[in-house]
Amino acid sequence: MGLVQRVLEANGLATVALSMIPVFTKAVGVPRIAAIGYPMSRPMGKPHDADGQRAVLRCALNVLTTATEPGTIVELPYVWPETRAQAAKGGHVSPPIGQLLIRKPWLIPKLVSGDIPESE
Amino acid sequence: MAIDSYGYLDFITRQVIKAWVEREQPRPIPWTPLPKPLDQCTVALVCSSGIALKGDQPFDQEQERQNPWFGDPSYRVIPQGATSADVSIYHLHIDARFGQEDINVLLPMHRLAELAHEGFIKCSAPSHYSIMGYILRPREVHELEEVTAPAIARSMKNEGVDAVVMVPS
Repeated sequence: MGLVQRVLEANGLATVALSMIPVFTKAVGVPRIAAIGYPMSRPMGKPHDADGQRAVLRCALNVLTTATEPGTIVELPYVWPETRAQAAKGGHVSPPIGQLLIRKPWLIPKLVSGDIPESE
Repeated sequence: MAIDSYGYLDFITRQVIKAWVEREQPRPIPWTPLPKPLDQCTVALVCSSGIALKGDQPFDQEQERQNPWFGDPSYRVIPQGATSADVSIYHLHIDARFGQEDINVLLPMHRLAELAHEGFIKCSAPSHYSIMGYILRPREVHELEEVTAPAIARSMKNEGVDAVVMVPS
């Protein structure tokens, strides 16, 4: 996502990233970040919480106005009302890569080091 | 930073992302100033949730199931005004329940329309864009950077976009 943002910005578009993992987004090198402490899969907030979603979007857009230098991070003031365990409840996500690494744990260093194989 | 980047990640994901962060080398960051006040700007959204219109080609999940190192680096256009019932989510790494219930959780098109209505921005662009955020192999990273992103940029320029909000998942 950060790579796409960098290309858009380099093509004359002013961009801001909402980010739940701002240390990672920053490391990729994007111009503006609106950091938010929400769980994965819910960047804008809860379903049907129009007021909450609109507030987050407004804050992210404001960073386009306030940021004056590349790499700016603004932390949004909104707090998620659940713990990690509560937020993950009932939504088990089991991607193919996770299943592969359980079967072949010796491949884990490949993922961690970024030495990505062509295939299994 | 007060926000804990790792607060909602599971143990393995946390370790992987920490290692990635440590490995990233600093590089020049591109910069385009906002060309005019927000209330005169046309705004587009990009999300990484693997959203496609029903009837449009799905993101390729079958190839990822065959080869878990693969991720589909293409993009889909989502027209402004599409509803939750108009789209499907093709992303094997997210909990799609929330976005299926209300697409604005992942792609806040209706919130953007409201901000235009109240005059906070000038208008929404006619098109928004979705990629699928799980891209690992150099081949797909290259396609994302060299094909997908430039195509999105061209489309945005054609539609007079001034500003873009990137929404992760």
